[in-house]
Amino acid sequence: MNSKESILSNIRKNSCADYEMPDIAVKGVHYDDSLQQFIDMTKAVGGNAHVVQVGENINDLIRSYYSEAVNIVSNLPEVTIATGNPDTVVKPQDLDGTDVAVVRGELGVAENGCVWIPQAVKEKAVYFIAEYLVILLSADKIVDNMHEAYDMLRFNDYGFGTFISGPSKTADIEQALVVGAQSACGVTVFILNA
Amino acid sequence: MSTKHSKAASAFLSNKSRAQFLNQSIWYVREKRDNVAMQLVEWEELRELSSSIKRHTVTHLDTYLEQFASRAEANGVVVHWAKDANEHNKIVYDILQQHGAKKLVKSKSMLTEECHLNNYLINKGIDVVETDLGERILQLMQVAPSHIVMPAIHLKRQQVGKLFEDKLGSESGNSDPTYLTRVARLHLRNEFMTADAGLTGANFGVAATGDVVVCTNEGNADMSTSLPPLHIVSMGIEKVIPDYRSLAVFTRLLARSATGQPSTTYTSHFRKARSGCEMHIVLVDNGRSDILGNPQHWETLKCLRCGACMNTCPVYRRSGGYSYTYFIPGPIGINLGMLRSPRVYSDNVSACSLCCSCDNVCPAKINLSEQIYFWRQGLDAIHRADPMKKIISSGLKYLYGHPALYYMGLRYAPLINRLPRNILYNRLNAWGKGRELPTFARKSFSEMWKKGIVR
Amino acid sequence: MQIGLFVPCYVDAVFPEVGVATYKLLKYLGVNVDYPMQQTCCGQPMANAGFEQKAVPLAAHFEDIFQGYDYVVAPSASCAAFVKLNYPRLLEGKHICQTSDKMMDVCEFLHDVLKVEKLPGVFPHKVSIHNSCHGVRELHLSSPSELNIPRFSKIRDLLSLVEGVSVVEPERVDECCGFGGMFSIEESEVSVQMGTEKLDSHIATGAEYITGPDSSCLMHLQGIARRQNKPIKFIHVVQILAAGL
Repeated sequence: MNSKESILSNIRKNSCADYEMPDIAVKGVHYDDSLQQFIDMTKAVGGNAHVVQVGENINDLIRSYYSEAVNIVSNLPEVTIATGNPDTVVKPQDLDGTDVAVVRGELGVAENGCVWIPQAVKEKAVYFIAEYLVILLSADKIVDNMHEAYDMLRFNDYGFGTFISGPSKTADIEQALVVGAQSACGVTVFILNA
Repeated sequence: MSTKHSKAASAFLSNKSRAQFLNQSIWYVREKRDNVAMQLVEWEELRELSSSIKRHTVTHLDTYLEQFASRAEANGVVVHWAKDANEHNKIVYDILQQHGAKKLVKSKSMLTEECHLNNYLINKGIDVVETDLGERILQLMQVAPSHIVMPAIHLKRQQVGKLFEDKLGSESGNSDPTYLTRVARLHLRNEFMTADAGLTGANFGVAATGDVVVCTNEGNADMSTSLPPLHIVSMGIEKVIPDYRSLAVFTRLLARSATGQPSTTYTSHFRKARSGCEMHIVLVDNGRSDILGNPQHWETLKCLRCGACMNTCPVYRRSGGYSYTYFIPGPIGINLGMLRSPRVYSDNVSACSLCCSCDNVCPAKINLSEQIYFWRQGLDAIHRADPMKKIISSGLKYLYGHPALYYMGLRYAPLINRLPRNILYNRLNAWGKGRELPTFARKSFSEMWKKGIVR
Repeated sequence: MQIGLFVPCYVDAVFPEVGVATYKLLKYLGVNVDYPMQQTCCGQPMANAGFEQKAVPLAAHFEDIFQGYDYVVAPSASCAAFVKLNYPRLLEGKHICQTSDKMMDVCEFLHDVLKVEKLPGVFPHKVSIHNSCHGVRELHLSSPSELNIPRFSKIRDLLSLVEGVSVVEPERVDECCGFGGMFSIEESEVSVQMGTEKLDSHIATGAEYITGPDSSCLMHLQGIARRQNKPIKFIHVVQILAAGL
């Protein structure tokens, strides 16, 4: 018997109880103003949220938020100021040194400021290796809670996706919160179509 | 009477400022959990659902594991099955060898601690780099974690500063946490960049889709798996869950219970390997399928490894992770240690006042305190009960079983009040180590009742 | 309604006034109370130490003594909880178990069964409530701080009936005091550390008395207070409720 069969047969032999799957009918938290809650939570977790007004240009906004950024990486056609593209690098290590990565989010979750980003680039390192991350998110894609989000989750063919809630952080040294651990030191969500 | 835990706890408490620091730091995390829990009207409902989903999944574990594995394989992921720690370690090493991998970056995995993977690989010449900041600090110090979520919580910033000065060349005397985190960032960035493989644990394995879900705040699991061409997942078989509807319940509970955050910064779903790369999952049993057959203790398999139980545990907060003899401390650690080896880890069973607070914070509603009580009942049979406790219990049984003797005891007990202190408060008087003895009443209640004084 | 009064072993020996207050209060409230002799101990000390089998004869004896009463009432949350939760298992197959359903802590009994709405006493003092773990988490005398449920406290409700009482609670409102039965001697340093911090948090409220439903916790805290020369006083809740009787 190989290990798989051995493990499965031991499980079947030992199981001493039988429980049904519960009906997951819980009412997740609802917000009267999901957009505002999303903005508040994004700030609470150390991120920025900017509601893009009519007439505001993404590229100008990126420049104004990150005036010292030199290496701006994106595969989004609307990001004309990009100096690099995660689809065309030879290897993911080439993305090190990215000052700002601009990516698209597909869902926002109001209860925790999470943005669902299904991988839409050749090298997903772009989501984690940049000093700063800018996420474009449409306001009509903001849901209240994770129950709703998981009902709507979609992947692209790349087979990877991540919820990102604010910048990377740690409190491992004396419980002192430090923003910017191994990934983005800052995150700005540009909310479109509000 | 004493156990290894009580002795270690006593030593820990002798450093008053360190003890106070740990207690306050960890209580603060309990408070943060309370704050976010009280914000969700549906909190207790979520806990109940989490418990029910886990009970169902664990009692149908074979079905869900097969589903998970076949979905993952359909996604091009290689799935391995390891009966025990040794097999797990060997499989991981073989995968690394096949790819000529020499440097491995790891995100946090208590399972790999359980399997002693790091030492195994290091002995075979693999450079293993922990990338969670707390774990990296401990790795450089060459000590074990003291908490399953906040492994370095017992350390002061000055200790970390000195360590980084020695090992990473940081500024002498600078122990600012932000500065030190930046030093670590640069150091670890270099490790990610030059790694041949990345290893993560798995917070959840979704059977319906084959996703491996990893939750971090630092982004180190994602850095470990976005740069090197090889991703290995070490996953305990109890981590499988049915579907996304279940996952929503768990992700809403996990970070809130663990650190008081509404979510971890990153909740990443690994479904396929990167193009041109490989992803492997090693499913590990190592005693879990045996635990299933234990009617009193199988519910420990519901554990999400959030650490909430140790944060609330008044004994953990006053003794620290290193006072426990099992690598996981606190209420869940006492239970898991006994399941691993009752005779080896029985010293931890004393580390509980049966206050039941842990039961109330556990997001999977494991009956932790009741299980500890049951382990205690079983100590005598494996010759691990404290002999003094046994003698006292037998003595009490005899005394209380003979009311005449009991009444006589009540009549003469007040004499104890008058004994000289140096007789009463001797080395044998464990109560008297930090407390005055109670004063026995001159007339007990039963005596007063007998004399008709109680009206 | 016929009540059997259970006065736990250590209350009998160390705090008989708590038994007296319980009896007086119940009689005042018109309850038929009897104290069957030959009672000794519920068996909790041995059980929590890991020898619950040694408690079985005591449990059987307890059942025999309290047969025929409608309720068994004790001024001790932990003893009442022990009987309620453990006797059915301990006695299964050995003895009929009825006391589990009839057992009540006195605060529980006053609040839930008698539903007391008036008390005659005056107790013009500031008291800090010690919410004993088994009272909170096993008997539901108050809402556990860990749970997201509506806040309640049966002890507060009862104390509010006594004129002059000013009630406060310490920070970490239901953190364990560290008694835990033989835990207090097997892990004595941790136990004393827990007790010292609990004591200090009560003292920080400015209260004159620490009060609670469980004399075992009070005995442990009092032992520490005396050793550390901290002059706060201790009184069981039922003694406050019976003030003036």
